[in-house]
Amino acid sequence: MKLVYEKGPYLKDSERTNKIMKRVLLALVPIILFSFYKNGILPFYKGYTNIYGLFQPLILILTAGLTSLGTEFLYNKYLLKIKNPLQGKYAFFPGLFFSLLMSINTPLWMIVMGAFFATVVGKLLFGGFGHNIFNPALVGALFITVSYGALIPGGYLNAFELDTITGPTALATNYIDSFPKVIEAFGGIGNYIFGFIPGTLGETPKLLIIMSFIFLAVTKTIKYLIPLTYVGVVFITTFVIGSVNGLDITFPLFQIFTGGLLLGAVFMATDPVTTPTTRLGQVLFGIGLGLLTVIFRFLTPYPEGVLTSILTMNMLVILIDELGDQSQRKIILKTITLIIGLGLIIGTGFLIGNKIKSPVEVDNNYQIIEKANQKYQVSQKGFGGLIKAEIIFEKDLIKEINIMSQNESLWQNIEKEDYLQKLIDQQDNLEALDTVSGTTITSQALKDLIKNTKDDYKE
Amino acid sequence: MRKKISLFIKQNPVFGMTLGLCPLLAITTTFENSYLMGISLLFILILSNSIVSLIRKWVPNKIRIPIYITIIGIFVTILEYLLFTYVPQLKSSLGIYIPLIIVNCLVLGRALGYASRHNLKDSIKDALKMGLGYTFSLSLVGIIREVLGSNTLTLMENTTNVTGYLAKYQVFPTNSIIPNQFFASPAGVLLIVGLLFGLLNMIKGVEEK
Repeated sequence: MKLVYEKGPYLKDSERTNKIMKRVLLALVPIILFSFYKNGILPFYKGYTNIYGLFQPLILILTAGLTSLGTEFLYNKYLLKIKNPLQGKYAFFPGLFFSLLMSINTPLWMIVMGAFFATVVGKLLFGGFGHNIFNPALVGALFITVSYGALIPGGYLNAFELDTITGPTALATNYIDSFPKVIEAFGGIGNYIFGFIPGTLGETPKLLIIMSFIFLAVTKTIKYLIPLTYVGVVFITTFVIGSVNGLDITFPLFQIFTGGLLLGAVFMATDPVTTPTTRLGQVLFGIGLGLLTVIFRFLTPYPEGVLTSILTMNMLVILIDELGDQSQRKIILKTITLIIGLGLIIGTGFLIGNKIKSPVEVDNNYQIIEKANQKYQVSQKGFGGLIKAEIIFEKDLIKEINIMSQNESLWQNIEKEDYLQKLIDQQDNLEALDTVSGTTITSQALKDLIKNTKDDYKE
Repeated sequence: MRKKISLFIKQNPVFGMTLGLCPLLAITTTFENSYLMGISLLFILILSNSIVSLIRKWVPNKIRIPIYITIIGIFVTILEYLLFTYVPQLKSSLGIYIPLIIVNCLVLGRALGYASRHNLKDSIKDALKMGLGYTFSLSLVGIIREVLGSNTLTLMENTTNVTGYLAKYQVFPTNSIIPNQFFASPAGVLLIVGLLFGLLNMIKGVEEK
């Protein structure tokens, strides 16, 4: 059998496509209702918000969907001049999924902008439904995160949580050290499963998402292999990471039940258009997603590991499908591919586990070695060991920084940027100073060094 | 008129021939950087095209690429030192992309494809056309990117110590929609360039094969 590339989904029967989309919508209804309950009704009932806040989750979701719908209608009607501009396009979906990935505090104009971007750049410019390479909703969500991520007031906390919980989402904290604290802070493991933890509109009710997955898998609506491998790989890898660091099975479970992993795996990674069609391809897709998510979560400072990994794997779908198609006839190729995949999973787990085994201790980083009137000798833990420096004050300001010893691997970048001079120039406004790209830890350490010394000097 | 526009787009080094995209993606963070980069390239292009055209009869075909690269390299080095002496701020903001003009496919492409086969007058004409087209494209991307990405328009900032003027304006009143970090990042410029490609192709009309 030869694999022919055409626009997906590959079921030629439009009746079937319609049915699939209806079932996905049906599976989303409980999640949306829960979001309404958690972010709207609950804060309203406890008196934390007004009548607008009560309906805010629904308003956000509807706005996003309608923006998507309207954009597609106008584009098809006036630019492409199609007779039935909305027939068979499922124009509502990009906006709907996009809104589930946004937090309750997102301003309305941001929702409109994101849904518009998702529909135009993610879907229509590629040729509309069935032709897009990337999942449109994720394109929109990533656009908003990159553009205005820092502008959303209150982050992921809704009005009720804003008052009762003081902290970012569970994933935003340091994973290993504070891990038991994280669970207690949100009221135990039950809240994680039933969804009463901070998060985006759609990602919190894990139990409902799992039930939706079972419904969709039993009715053969989605490619069930992708979510299974995806979550499985994340579980195995984080289990290895946890074991290397002496943690028990709750650690991998915690990794699965926080963040947008389950929502992404069930609804975004199984999009009929942008995912592989061959069975081996689906398994490989899941493996790639799992590995990338773990890598994004543990090794990079960026948020939205799930979004980024799904978009990255979307690019590789044609290659993966080609491999899956080739190996239909060659058992050896199939076996080799799967063995390499398994090796990668375990290997990544061990590598990351060992790398984060000794996290930089925040409290004991800074030390004052010697303290004279206007002269400090201090040390701060950097990337490759201690940075020792002599800091000379003049009046209330730092006049000179002399580095006495350091063992940083990319110190030349710091010198090239003249970063020490920049630190002196901006010593009153250190937060605004950017770190040197490539040597984030070193420059952060230098910033901390200056800040701590200044604090001490002021006292 | 439509034919003229179509010809202009078709012969544009960036949007017609897709040459010299690397600086386009890298240094178009401000309008000033963009047009100054374009002018630098224009300068190199005129000089290298005229020299290549003058010596075209004595250059053996087999070793012409190293010879042309050497010629371009000489001019780029001259430019680099000139900038370093008079406008050090510009040099530091354009950075590696000034030396990289040596391997810019536009300069070498015009030397190989045009100047080595035509006389001096035509070669200089071609260099002017290409250089101005390139400056236009860079400036277009630079304006869009700077306005969307940082809500400013820089006409003159790095060259202030030579010209004596400082011209940097805020475009829109302070709001929360613009500046948009996305357009200041490399991903944003890819999107802008892609959309411009599409738009200009729409104006030009795709040729039937």
